Formats: sequence, C-alpha cells, structure tokens
Amino acid sequence: MNEPVVVNQLAKTFFDEARGEVHAVEGIDFECHAGEIFGLLGANGAGKTTTLRMLSTIIAPTSGSAIIMGHDVAKEGEVVRKSLGFYSASTALYPRLTAKETIEFFARINRYPPEKLAERVDYLITRFGIAAYANARVDKLSTGMKQKVSIARTVAHDPPILIFDEPTVGLDVLNALEMQEVIKEFRAQGKTILFSTHIMSEAEKLCDRIGIIHNGRILACGTLDELRLATGVHYLEDIFVHYVKGRA
Amino acid sequence: MNWQTVWVLLAHELRMLRRDRRTIILGLALPLVILPLMLYAAKSSSERREKTLEQTRYTYAVTGSQAEEARNRIGRALRSLGQGYPHKQDGKKSLAGLKLEEVHVQDPAASLRKQEIDFYLEAMSGKEADALLKPEEKNKPAAPDAPRKVLPEPKRLAGVPLILIYYQGNQDSSAQGSSRMLNLLRKESSSGRDALLREHGFPADPDQVMPVTERSLATPGQVTGSNLGKFLTLFLVILMLTGGAVGAIDIIAGEKERGSLETILTTAVNRGEVIAAKQLTILIVALTITFIQIAEILACVTFKAISLPADFVIDVSPATVLTLLFLFIPVAGFISAVLLMLSAYAKSYKEAQLYFFPVYLLSWAPSLAGAFPGISLRSAIVLVPLANVSVAVREIMVGKYDWPMIILAAAVMTTTAVWAARVSTRMLNQENIIATGEFDAADLQGGPALFPKRVLRWYALMGVVLFVVALNVPQLATFRRQLLFNELLIFFGGSLLMVARYRLNVKQAWALRAPKPAVWLAILLLIPSSNILGVGIFRLANLVLPVPRQVIEQFASDIMPKDISAFQMILFLAILPGICEEIAFRGTLLYGLRRKFRPVGLTLIVGMVFGLFHVALFRILPASFLGIILTATALLTGSIFPGMVLHAGNNAFSYAAAMKQLGIGQLAWWAYLAAAFVFIMGFAILYRNRTPYPDLTRPRNLILPKIRS
Repeated sequence: MNEPVVVNQLAKTFFDEARGEVHAVEGIDFECHAGEIFGLLGANGAGKTTTLRMLSTIIAPTSGSAIIMGHDVAKEGEVVRKSLGFYSASTALYPRLTAKETIEFFARINRYPPEKLAERVDYLITRFGIAAYANARVDKLSTGMKQKVSIARTVAHDPPILIFDEPTVGLDVLNALEMQEVIKEFRAQGKTILFSTHIMSEAEKLCDRIGIIHNGRILACGTLDELRLATGVHYLEDIFVHYVKGRA
Repeated sequence: MNWQTVWVLLAHELRMLRRDRRTIILGLALPLVILPLMLYAAKSSSERREKTLEQTRYTYAVTGSQAEEARNRIGRALRSLGQGYPHKQDGKKSLAGLKLEEVHVQDPAASLRKQEIDFYLEAMSGKEADALLKPEEKNKPAAPDAPRKVLPEPKRLAGVPLILIYYQGNQDSSAQGSSRMLNLLRKESSSGRDALLREHGFPADPDQVMPVTERSLATPGQVTGSNLGKFLTLFLVILMLTGGAVGAIDIIAGEKERGSLETILTTAVNRGEVIAAKQLTILIVALTITFIQIAEILACVTFKAISLPADFVIDVSPATVLTLLFLFIPVAGFISAVLLMLSAYAKSYKEAQLYFFPVYLLSWAPSLAGAFPGISLRSAIVLVPLANVSVAVREIMVGKYDWPMIILAAAVMTTTAVWAARVSTRMLNQENIIATGEFDAADLQGGPALFPKRVLRWYALMGVVLFVVALNVPQLATFRRQLLFNELLIFFGGSLLMVARYRLNVKQAWALRAPKPAVWLAILLLIPSSNILGVGIFRLANLVLPVPRQVIEQFASDIMPKDISAFQMILFLAILPGICEEIAFRGTLLYGLRRKFRPVGLTLIVGMVFGLFHVALFRILPASFLGIILTATALLTGSIFPGMVLHAGNNAFSYAAAMKQLGIGQLAWWAYLAAAFVFIMGFAILYRNRTPYPDLTRPRNLILPKIRS
C-alpha cells in the first residue's frame, strides 16, 4: 500500500446534548494518489471537515483507519502531523506575532532543519509576496495578507501532504483565485493535496479526482470524466445532484 | 517529550504575553500603581478623619433633675484635661482636643433625631434611676426610632444617681461625640473615686494595689513568625493565583476563542509539550508577579507607606527561607496546573474568568489550615494538599522543623502538582474541550437543549451570590432572614428562573413523579441511619482537619437560636431546605447534568456541589455525603419526593438529637456500624424497588474519546 493517504471504513460519531448521537462520518473509504488533488465535495454538514480533522489528528476516529504516509492517524499522531500541513478557516494565526515570526515559528515546531530555516523563511516570504509586511504584526494585516501568511505557515516545513478545508470560504474572488493558483502550484511541486469544498466550479477546476460526500457517506469517487460517464450528465453540479437526490 | 520544542513553545508564549497590552496593564502596571494609591488614599483619609475629629465641636444637651451636677462633672473633667492630659502617651488620645458645646433645647430627643445636637445626657437622681431600671421597664422593647443609650445597664448600687447618654448610632459625629463624652465622664468618675479614697486615708492609687502584669518569653521575632506563619500560605497562594491568572486565562481559553489552539494542534508538537510550555509560562508569570508585589510591599514598608507594629520583627534564617521555598515551589506548580486546567476547560476567555472566582474562593479553605489552632503537621493533614503546606509553614515559622513530615508534605504537594499537570494534558486530548464548536447545535437551538451547557454556570453564579450576600449584607445576618433568602430566593427562585429561561418542562426537570410505596419504608430507615453515618463521617474528617470546638458551638448557636419556637425551627431547618434545596439540586441541577456524566460521576458531582453550597469548611464533607445519598435516592426512585422527605427528616432528626442531647457525635464505633447496616438495608429496598431516573446517560463508547499524540 504505497498511496500517501489511505482511508478505510473511517467513522466518527459524536454525542451532542441537543441532538443525541450524531453520525458525522459513517465508514468512508478513499485513497489519494501521490501528486494529485483529491477533492471532497459536499454540502454543509456532509462530513467533510470531520473527515479532514480526523486525518489531521485533531479528533480521533470512532472506528476505521486512516493511514498517512504509512502512519496510522490514531496511533502515530506526531509523525503524521509532521508530514502534513493543515489549512482551514478555523486555524487562525497568532495576532501578536509578525508575519515573518509566524512562518519561522511554525517551521521550527514542525522540526524543519534549523540550518535551512532562514533560507526557507526567506523563500516563502518572497514566494507569497509577504516581504512588504513581513515585520508587521498579524493583527494589523488585511484578510488577503493574512491568507498569504496562513498558507506560508501551512507549508513552512515543506510537508508532502497538504489538507485544505474549504480554503476559499470568506475570501473575495481575487483572493479565492489566487488560492486556487497556489494549490495548483503545490500540485506541480509533487505534493498530495486533499481539498474540501462545497463550490462545484472550484472542484471542477482544481480536482484530479473527486469524492462526493453526503450525510457522512461517500456516494461516488472518481475523476470528473468517470463521474460524467457513470451519471450521464456533464456538469459537476448535475452530477452532485444526481447522487444526492438519488440517495434521498 | 522533546525539551527543545518545549523551549521554543515557551519562548513563543512569553513573547506573546510580553506583547499583550492587557496582560502588561492588568498583571504588572495596575498592581504596581494600585497598592501605593490605596495606601496613600487610606493614609490621607485616616489623617483627614483625625484632623476633622480634632476640629469637630460636638453639641449636646443636658436634661434631667441632676442636670446641674452633670454639668459640674463635665466642667471638672474638662478642666483636668486642660491641666495636663490630652496625651497620646497615656492612652487618652480620644480625649485630645475635645471640643464640646452645650446647647439648650426644648426636647433633646427630638433635637437629636433632627440632628440639631450630636447627643444628650439625662442625669437622674438615684430614685429616678432605680425606677428606670426596674425589671419590667428593662424588658420593654424600645420604640423603633428611640435613640440608643450609650451606657449598658451599669452595675450600680440602688439609690445611686445615674447619667445616661443618648446618641444616634448611625451618625458618625453622634457616635464619636457620645463615646468621647463617655470616656470623659468615666475618667472624671474614677478621679473622683481616687480623691475620695485619699481623703479617707487610703495612701495610694488603687490601680497600683496588687497589679497583675505579663511577660512573654518568646522573642519578638518568634511572635511575628507565629502570626505571619498562619497567613503566609494564604497570602502567597492569593498572589500566585491572581498573578498566574493574568496569563493563564488567555493561554488556552483565549487561544480557543481565536482559533490558534487548533493551529498548534495540527503541528508536529505533541500535546504534552504544549501543556508543559504553557504551564511553565503560567509559573513564570505567577512567580514574577508575586515577587514584584512582595518587593513593592517591602518597598512600601521601607519608605513608611505601610506602618508595621513596633514589635513586628521578621527574624528568618537562610535555612528557613530555603525550607519555605522547598514547600512553595510545588505549591506554585500546583497553582499553575490548576489555572491551566481551568483555562483548558473553559471554551472562551469570558468563561475562564467565570470559573476563576470559585477556584479562587476554594483555595482559601486549605490555605487557611495553618490559622486553625490545634492542627499539627504530624497528623492526617499532611496528606491534604495546600493545607499541609499551610500547617508546615506555620510550624517552620515558629522554629519547629519536623523534617520527615515536611518532606512528606512537599512530596504530597509535588505529586498533586504532577497529577494536575497530567489532567491538563488529558484535557487537551478531549475533543469536547478542544473542538466542540461546530457540533454545538445546542447554542442554535437554545431552550432545553442549551440548558445542560449552561447549568453549571448558573450554580456558580448562585454560589457567588450566596457567598457575597452573606458576607456583605448585614441586614440578612439573622437566622430567619438568611434562611429565607437562601432557600426561597437563591434555591427556589434560581430554579424557577432556570425553568423559565430555558423553557423546561417542570415535571421532568424537577422529577415530580410518584415513587413506589415501598420506597417510603426505605426512607424511614435512611433518615436516622444516614444522619448518624454523616456524623460519623464528620468525626473522621475531624481527624484530618480538626474543627475547633468554639467554631462548632458558634455554628450551633447560629443555626439554633434560642428565641425561636420548635415549630419555626422545623419549618426553617427541615421543611424549607427539604423542599427548596431538593428542587435546586436533585431537581434542576440533576436534570441539567443527567447526560453529561455517568450515574456514579453524576451522583458524586451533584452531591459535592450541594456540599460546597454549605460554605463553612467543616460542613462541606458531611453535607456532600448527604448530597450524594439524596442524589442516589433521586436516581433510584426517579422522583424528587423521597429525597425531599429524607432531607427534611434528616435535618429534623439533627435538630431533635441536639435538643434531646442524644450525643450522636459521641457514639461508640458499633453504633455507627449498626447505622451503616440499616443504611445498606434502606438502599437495598430502594434498589429492589427502583424506578430509574429517565434519559440518563450518553452511550459509553462516545464519552471523551482520546487522541494519541
């Protein structure tokens, strides 16, 4: 099993005081191939974020397994986290650090080799056009600037796997497009990317393979062409509706 | 654990704190400014008060058949003042610079009420005084607006004239003036007595006959050490808690709120490293602020902003300082771990602030153990964290070094600190603590769904109100008022408010269900047996934390005033608590927490919360025991009513036992064993006839799953 991400019968059940048992994810299976963008496409509450949080070891699976770079997320959290970068709207930055300090700090705690640290920080500052405000505190930056710093901190330790949980939520069109370009660039660098979204056009444009997730289950998984073939409809929106409605 | 990573995280935390203006202002700048400001304000207000008092001219009137004699006495006394003593050295400071002015008024009592005069004297002949102090007269209740007489009934011979001074106790100048007049006349009376004795041939000042004096063999340093040792632990715990809280509250709770906690949890660091760094940060902040504040206090003493008593001598050897450090370092570790737990448990900065106050209050009880007389470190107290250090410090400060016990106390404290740190780490592994946000549908649904999340906050608030009001509202200090306030307003009113606020179904929330008939037999068995067992528990607790006899006697006289009838006592001590406290604890609280904990945990927690509401330290354990029994009863019967009867019966039994002097506190061990047997029988009946409390727990496998880092 050489795939960088292998998910097998992964499930997560919560207990919520208001709703009782909530089966957020119900035994899903998928794999991500090296150097591809795998998209989890689903409506709000479908189980995308829960899945990605389990893969990033923030929360533990109730059952099933997820192997990242050969390591089990439930048993080897530290090693797993070392090989991935996690980006989501809920992972905020430290407001009282400068942009440069932020990148430096995350590279350091992710055990990036100290002798290469300065070079890496300089590279990221240049790559993401942060130089002009590298020494400004994060709480003084605009949303777009923060987004760039946030991406830079995600890849500060140059991980082979990147997880983006709805990365364009709350961004304006230009910033969203820039985010898409950055993700494509990471793919070009050979990184494996797991990407969740509820925006069809984004998934259509970016993903090499798509998993349609609904009510905690993966309803279909494949390339866009495979999904078109299987459903007989062309647009991803129609494909999505086909599976979700069919399920309902 | 990778200590290099811990160091990077620690440097990061300290840098964040340094850049936080709120921390700098609240933790350092404000305390630095506030203490000198407060001292300056206190000093200047005291000086101003003294000056004002010196300049005040007190107006008074004299009335009664012996008014002229009273005036003569005042005149003589004032003349003697002029002849030589207003004088601070002989303790007559209160008479220095006394300015008096007699005014003539028609009705002195009316003038006093209208504040036209500060006080008045009524000088009576012996006959008039005898008539005034006849027993039937003495027992007459005074009219509500009648001015108070300053003299308590004097031990006077029949037929001796009397001067009564009337004043308004609620007016500063009236109280001050009348008190100074009282001193003046007493001094004059005593000089008159001495002169009379001399006239009749007594050769000396009567005060010099067979004088009794005392001499302490302890050095001033030892006396200071003894006094300081009693409160040093409390003082340092307060400083460390308040100092540490400045950084601690934000360190996890604030990060959760901002979202940066999740960011750090997705990195390669493990949670133990995160906790270690955060705890070290709190420790550093707490110690820094403590040292700064102590230095500031010492500076204030050096520059005479704080005046210490003349015999206050700190005589502490370097060995003593090292021994104290040996004890206080684990205390600091424990406090930082507790603060970290608090911050980890809270979901937001505001919530952490809310939790801080009860923790702060709770820390007082064990920290004050050293102030209790009769507790020695060579007892079970050595196993009670914080209390053991408090007692050890008191003993060390008087020069008693019981090394095996000191080492054991330090070991207990260190173990507790390590345990608390491990709990904090486990908390960071609990999903419901680190990542509940998006699953909290309760917040959106509100009403009954939100209640379980809010219920503990309500009880924390009720506890704070109860505590603060009891300390600060003297009008409620009487037995009846205090009980009515607590039972009707706080417990019953609070429960009603929760029911209304969260739209709860009263029948369900208060478990208003009829129990099976057999349950009542069990309750009959449980009333005496649980009471006797509770007293047994109290006796056991007394071995660890002995309660001074006078404290218990004071408590007994407070809750059983002599002027209240047996019927009222049963109403106030048994029936009201039986209804109101059961509704509050086995009703609303139990309902709110029923799905948060498994039955055993639920029973213990509800019982302990109930115990904590019985504020006095020595009552907490027996009250918690009763609370646990009552909660177990509610869980087994599914109804609040058996608990109400058991609670009321237990309290009534205590009252009856005290009235009949049954001596339950002095029973032999076999009597407690017999009570335990009856108690078990009672619970066996409850168990066999159980109607479990509905809708109890969440599925076992879904409770707090852990993440391995």
